[in-house]
Amino acid sequence: MTVRLNDDGAIELSGRCGVEDAEILQRHLLAQPGSAVDWSGCEHLHSAVIQVLLVGRPEVRGLPLNTFLRTHIAPLMERTVE
Amino acid sequence: MNEFLKQFLIESRELVDQAVNDLLELEKLPNDAERFGNAFRAFHTLKGGAGIVEFAAMQTALHCAEDAFTAARAASRPLSAREIGNCLLCIDQVVDWLDAIERTGDLPPDADAAAVVARFTGSPTSEPNAASPVQPAGAAWLDALLREHPAAARSAQTAVRYRPDVDSFFRQQDPLARIAALPGLLAVDVAPGDRWPTLDELDPFSCNLVITALLAASPAATTTALGDDLRHCDVATLADRPKTAGPPSVAQPAAELLGAQLQLLAATAEPYQPGCVASAGLVAANVLRHVGRLEEAEGIAAAADRSLDEGRPQRLVEAIRGALEGAPTTAAAEPLRVKRQEAIQTLRVGTDRIDTLVRLTGELTVAKNAIGHGAKLAEAASSALGATLKNQHATLERLIGELQRAVVGMRVLPLRVAFQRFPRLIREMSAELGKPATLVLEGEDTEADKAIVEILVEPLAHVLRNAMDHGVEAPAARAAAAKPAVATIRVRAFRDGEHVLIEVSDDGAGIDIERVRQVAQERNMMPPEVLAAASDEEIIDLIFAAGLSTAAQVSEISGRGVGMDAVRTAVGRLGGQVEARTERGQGTTIRFTLPFSVLVTQVMTVEAGGQTFGIPLDAVVETLRVSSESIFPVGAAHAIVLRNRTVPLVKLAQVLARGTRQHADESGPIVIAKIDGELGALQVDRIGERIDVMLKPLDGLLAGLPGITGSTMLGDGSVLLVLDLAELMQ
Repeated sequence: MTVRLNDDGAIELSGRCGVEDAEILQRHLLAQPGSAVDWSGCEHLHSAVIQVLLVGRPEVRGLPLNTFLRTHIAPLMERTVE
Repeated sequence: MNEFLKQFLIESRELVDQAVNDLLELEKLPNDAERFGNAFRAFHTLKGGAGIVEFAAMQTALHCAEDAFTAARAASRPLSAREIGNCLLCIDQVVDWLDAIERTGDLPPDADAAAVVARFTGSPTSEPNAASPVQPAGAAWLDALLREHPAAARSAQTAVRYRPDVDSFFRQQDPLARIAALPGLLAVDVAPGDRWPTLDELDPFSCNLVITALLAASPAATTTALGDDLRHCDVATLADRPKTAGPPSVAQPAAELLGAQLQLLAATAEPYQPGCVASAGLVAANVLRHVGRLEEAEGIAAAADRSLDEGRPQRLVEAIRGALEGAPTTAAAEPLRVKRQEAIQTLRVGTDRIDTLVRLTGELTVAKNAIGHGAKLAEAASSALGATLKNQHATLERLIGELQRAVVGMRVLPLRVAFQRFPRLIREMSAELGKPATLVLEGEDTEADKAIVEILVEPLAHVLRNAMDHGVEAPAARAAAAKPAVATIRVRAFRDGEHVLIEVSDDGAGIDIERVRQVAQERNMMPPEVLAAASDEEIIDLIFAAGLSTAAQVSEISGRGVGMDAVRTAVGRLGGQVEARTERGQGTTIRFTLPFSVLVTQVMTVEAGGQTFGIPLDAVVETLRVSSESIFPVGAAHAIVLRNRTVPLVKLAQVLARGTRQHADESGPIVIAKIDGELGALQVDRIGERIDVMLKPLDGLLAGLPGITGSTMLGDGSVLLVLDLAELMQ
């Protein structure tokens, strides 16, 4: 399971999240506005998932395992939180 | 300066000298075909080198000169005095560029071939790649990107804006992954193509992204890496922008190194690893010291200490970030570059001098072994003298061992050194020609004489270019032939006795023998009756003759008919051979056979028929004993069965010591050796020791001795003959 709700209500992205996870993530974010996304177990995020994150601007927790995500995408998330 | 550029400079300077000499001779004797061929080759090889280091302007300039040669050859006329003058002017320009590279350690960013092109065409012409998608800087997106990432902007050479199709997610594409895979990625920004929709009106399957990125790679490398996606991209070159930092050769690696430390710290943040913090701090501080930012270096060192005290990497991360953002002062970088130039001086020594050193070391080894023998004798006679001699001998042995290693180290290199350029070559050609291909390298650790490794690079590159250009079919043709879409080019090196073999094979269309025959006829390369009677092998061999190129078009890559004869000339000069095998529709293999003139060989000594022989240790697979009943006759020969395989057996005493006719021990040990990929068994009377020897080829009366590859002197002054197993087993 690459997208799931964890015990404290945060949405957890883990492993390799493919294009199909974008819609699941969008549904979770719409169902529970304001929930945080924990992506510390994430190895890969498809562009579609990143697009949902950039549009939904949830609070993101942790840093992904993948270097590209950590170095180049994580700063974008911080910037959009404002 | 990186290894490629160093090599490129050395080679180019030699080729420039050669080209100038040949051109000047041609001016005196315009009809000298050999000079013409030599000069043509020099220009061709120079251009090839420029291609490898991605020096487009130099390629363009040399291409013009080559065109003059091609035109002259096609019209069977000599070069005109004007053309020779233009070629010399082209060389002058190349020399200027080479000087600039030597001075700065990098390709001259403002190099322009227009002047040379204008001389050849008689009119000013822009660079042929003017139509390339690389744009000048100045677009709004670019300014925003540079503002957002000031640190990356300083070392970036290229900026990319990528606007993937709205339906690209549907087409299984992952645009950000595409960007992540680009070489030298420094910074990435993602913006909406339109405006961002609200979350509930977002269609998660339609792509509304515009991705911008800064890259340390050159625009050329970036466009190559983008491949098909290039049509969705704007590529801007940043090389000609004024920079606040020093030249990229200094700033860029420093920024990359600092960035790498940040990545290391981020990757190892949890759990906290003090070792990583300490090493990242050390590297970052050294980097800054190296570029002359001493105060910041101290700051980093202090931050690292504090981070270690606190048990959190945070302070160090901030300090490194600060250093990346802060502008380095050019004043501090300048004197450092002068120092670097002094440090890269190398001394080129003629191989004859090294050969003398090798020979002397070989003789010293023999003399040392003799002293060891003497020490043993002395020990028997007088223990005090013997002990002294033995001690001195041990010292001598150690020193000569070191000397031997140093001398051999001067001459031996793994073929990897030659091979390391090829993956890039194939990748670039693959993109350029639109023929997907993978390169498989085998036996890169095979060692060969330094001279061979160095000189082989160009011939091998020629053969690889040919394989890609003429061998591998266009994708449609491969599909029609039911071949895998991605072609495989294989470079395989191995040692075979006293030879190093390198095979370059492709799985392409093979050589069209009829076409070669036809072209040879058209160009009068052979009298028609000889040509008609020539076997297929002889026809294939014509590809190594001067002036034959069956490619319909002269391309940048190959097909001028100077490639393969240059290959044969270069290999022949090394005392090697090159031959081609081809199978229609299956591909072509070019095999290089080169002498392995490295002078230290490990041998295993064996006794047979009362004499001692050496066997090259790398051929030995195992040694074993079998009962005499297990050796069975096969016709006039013998064989044994080893793990269900029949292995031919040679009784060494019978083969080599025919004259003495001693009674061979029927149950003597057996050496299993690998010869030409096949196993062979050698029965001997006794197995001796392993020794390092400096092998000398047999000369004089012994030169024709069958089954012997060379000789060496043993400590007691006796001669050890080293066997050529391939010949023995025949």
